[in-house]
Amino acid sequence: MRVRDLSISYGGEPVLEGASVEVAQGQFVSLVGPSGSGKSSLLRAVIGLQRPLAGTVDPGVKPAEIGMLFQDDALLPWKTARDNVALGLDFRGCSRKSALVQADYWLDRVGLYGFENRYPRHLSGGQRKRVALAQVLALMPKLLLMDEPFASLDAIVRARIIRDVASLVEEEGISVLLVTHDLEEAISLSDCVYLLSQGPRARITQQYKVPIPRPRDPVKARTHPAFAPLYEKLWSDLSHEVALDQQRAEAAE
Amino acid sequence: MILTDPRFAPLRQLTAFGILLLIWEAAGRYDLVNPLFVPSPSRIGSALWELFADGRIWPHLDATFTAALVGLALGILVGIALGVLAALIPPVAELLEPVMTLLNAIPRVVLAPLFVIWLGIELASKVALAFILVAVVIFFTVYGGIRQVDRRLVERIVTLGGGRWELVRHVYLPSVAAWVLGNLKVAVGFAFTGACVGEFVGASRGLGYLLSFAQSTYNSALMFALIFLIMVVVLLIFAAAGRLERFLLRWQ
Repeated sequence: MRVRDLSISYGGEPVLEGASVEVAQGQFVSLVGPSGSGKSSLLRAVIGLQRPLAGTVDPGVKPAEIGMLFQDDALLPWKTARDNVALGLDFRGCSRKSALVQADYWLDRVGLYGFENRYPRHLSGGQRKRVALAQVLALMPKLLLMDEPFASLDAIVRARIIRDVASLVEEEGISVLLVTHDLEEAISLSDCVYLLSQGPRARITQQYKVPIPRPRDPVKARTHPAFAPLYEKLWSDLSHEVALDQQRAEAAE
Repeated sequence: MILTDPRFAPLRQLTAFGILLLIWEAAGRYDLVNPLFVPSPSRIGSALWELFADGRIWPHLDATFTAALVGLALGILVGIALGVLAALIPPVAELLEPVMTLLNAIPRVVLAPLFVIWLGIELASKVALAFILVAVVIFFTVYGGIRQVDRRLVERIVTLGGGRWELVRHVYLPSVAAWVLGNLKVAVGFAFTGACVGEFVGASRGLGYLLSFAQSTYNSALMFALIFLIMVVVLLIFAAAGRLERFLLRWQ
């Protein structure tokens, strides 16, 4: 996936300006930055939910091969877990029987065997997130876009789901572009991290390679010798961006 | 325990109701209330019994039920259709919204005499009143609901590869069904109001017609009996609507 000089504006106000991001096949890339830096807008532009002001987006795969995992699980409340997972398969012309068989398989893979007939309301936040993940993975995406998908989960559930997601995307060779506020999450999961400056007119200021080998356990990756220095560098650069923005705001006043 | 345990609440309510009936009955028998205005429960029960014993209630129940249920069905169908059209096609909304707002603002039962003039005293004028009462409520339910549909669900369908038809089928229609079912009890109440008021204004059959007859003959026992009967009928339909709602909205 290749994004070149992407600019996005809301009501004439440029949020993101000249952003370029690249995700190679099978690579896990994260976008981090302060709130309002246009991270989610960039993802939305890649999947076609946001029209860019300028720049180009080349997903590198067919639109049907892109999956998106939102911050909110956004499951249809009137459909069971199985029917929610089968939904995308149904849209792709899969027979009902085959869609349900595949839905059961993916629910099992994300650890929800026995929960197929539950409605979203009767599932926990972590279980709903797993259903949303199964819904996307069932479509066998080659590129997975994730917009802070773990933000609403408590620490233990979050750690378990992150581990499962990392292992699933590694096994399936899926390219991932993750938007997150969490620097630890970004480093432990990614091969490369992009840092966005404070918006409006946010831009990509830095790109960091993560030298932690794969296959990788995201929890154990935090104890790798390369983790702490990279975390400190990212934290320092991010703090610098926020401080710069505060100075600009004070000068404007 | 019986006085405080929540499990005995229905028993306490029935006992209180029974005591109230006894006081009411005693007040009637000892001439503490004028039976012309407030007949005793036994006289009301007797009037109700007579209605069923000689079978003359059935054509009236049939007329009221037919008018209310046909008006309800038409009102729901047309209300949904207009609500969907207005929500999805802005020029339709420009035409419909002022008319519906006007109809919503006035007490719509004032249209009853007009419907009698236009459609006569038979079934059609009662169906029309029940229909107009229900259609306006359902229109606003659907129109407002579709405009406020959860954008996240729409985006979810789009990112899963769904198009306009999939959106309608998997997001809009289930949302509409949920909103309509949520307002079904209100609609049932309006449908029976329309049917009874229509019959009250001008009819040859129906519970509203019987009420009008009881009023003109100062038969308050019959009037109380009919009010009680209408309450029971509407409560039974409410219960059926509640069961349908619980079954169809079991995901909630």
